[in-house]
Amino acid sequence: MSQHHQPAFTIACEACGVDTDTDSANEIVAFYRRHHRQTGHDVVLTRADLEFDLPVADDDLESVVAELEAHYDDGVPIGVVAAVMSERGYAVGETLEEIDDVRMTGALYEPRDDHLAAV
Amino acid sequence: MTRWNNGLDEVEAVSPDITDETNALPAQYFTDPDVHEMEKEAVFGQYWVYAGHVNCIPEPGDYFTRTIGDREIIVVRNHEGDVQAFYNVCAHRGSAMVEETPMTDPGSASRIQCPYHLWTYDLDGDLASTPRSFEEARLNPDLEDEDVPELDAEENALMEVHSDRIGPFVFVNFDEEPMSLDEQAGKMKSELEALPLEEYQLARRIVSEVECNWKVFGGNYSECDHCQANHQDWVRDLELLESELEVNDYHWVLHYQHKEDVDDEMRIHEEHEAKFYYFWPNFTVNMYGTADGYGTYIIDPIDEGRFQLVADYYFEDPDLSEEEAEFVRTSRQLQEEDFELVERQQRGLDSGAIAQAQLGPNEHTVHKLHRLAQEAYEA
Repeated sequence: MSQHHQPAFTIACEACGVDTDTDSANEIVAFYRRHHRQTGHDVVLTRADLEFDLPVADDDLESVVAELEAHYDDGVPIGVVAAVMSERGYAVGETLEEIDDVRMTGALYEPRDDHLAAV
Repeated sequence: MTRWNNGLDEVEAVSPDITDETNALPAQYFTDPDVHEMEKEAVFGQYWVYAGHVNCIPEPGDYFTRTIGDREIIVVRNHEGDVQAFYNVCAHRGSAMVEETPMTDPGSASRIQCPYHLWTYDLDGDLASTPRSFEEARLNPDLEDEDVPELDAEENALMEVHSDRIGPFVFVNFDEEPMSLDEQAGKMKSELEALPLEEYQLARRIVSEVECNWKVFGGNYSECDHCQANHQDWVRDLELLESELEVNDYHWVLHYQHKEDVDDEMRIHEEHEAKFYYFWPNFTVNMYGTADGYGTYIIDPIDEGRFQLVADYYFEDPDLSEEEAEFVRTSRQLQEEDFELVERQQRGLDSGAIAQAQLGPNEHTVHKLHRLAQEAYEA
């Protein structure tokens, strides 16, 4: 008997009443960018099944990224950061804004596109 | 006969004769990433494509951005009140200038400025000013200030994109020498311009991502043979057998008769029917027979297997009444019913079994869509 596959992430725009499922963490961010480009709306995660326990560090982004880095060899996908921050009440766009702000302080960098590491 | 990927059947170009068995676009054109890349130029770089609605930028300096394929443009109302479109690219070193700004939340600026080195442009695209570092050579020992050439405002203007309008609808064309919008739109232009479209305001924009090729959705929109089985609530009030599918050069119109006539106040157009225009390649105008308003769809490709449906709803008052809000909800229900159908069709196409499907005799609108795609690929 086949088991129904449950996607890892569901992203929703509450203003439009639409949502989409994905297994790719960075597709969360791609969806946000495409949707925001057309509507200006932020989007939220309504489901996030990560393959590990959520970090229990401070809520600050720099600490979250630093703790997540243990699970990744070459930077943390920003979609994973968005998923973790959504547990702390951040919409996806808010997380991306926060990432930009912290990157401008020099505390975070991108070892590759859309992946984060702490300095 | 449908042609399968069984090693025996071969595909052919879309036959102009709908009774031929090769009357549909081969399946590869719905599933191949290379086709998606090719369409950015062959389709979206050659024809008039919808950019947005002028009511969203009523004042000089109001602007929004729109991305078509890989091209990002700024649509702006200039000081004369005209609407122009420019690439969102600075003439200095090619930087994008303004942030993405949707039509639903337009920006406003007295001039367009590139944040990189502060080159500044008038609303008509001409270069208005540059910082002093571009007028003198104080850091370059090999140059005297008088050797620095003056930057001509027009020669260093933003790159304009052909734009034209049908009523309040702004269209752009990236081709160097495009056919006129009048030619592409045919009588759709005069029909739409006879209606008071400008008197209606954008009330809602709902953007959905759908897991199918944009042409799969386009084909589904263009026929109603599937409606009896799949839109049961909607067709209850329609005389489907009295519907008419009218095909023109680059657009087709679906006319749906209602079982019971509706008050004239509940329609923007005169005919006692719902009237849906599909304008090649990816724009629709939805004249509902039961609401004093209209809608548009942009069927925007994301990749070969996904698109965004940008559904805009226009009413006289952007603050929807209860009835209008219910109408939008019903429209969304129709969309969701269609999404299920088209995603299922894409799943079948992605499985690779079919090489070239076949269209029915009453799918002449879909046939037109497939033929226009074929024509674009061969151009």
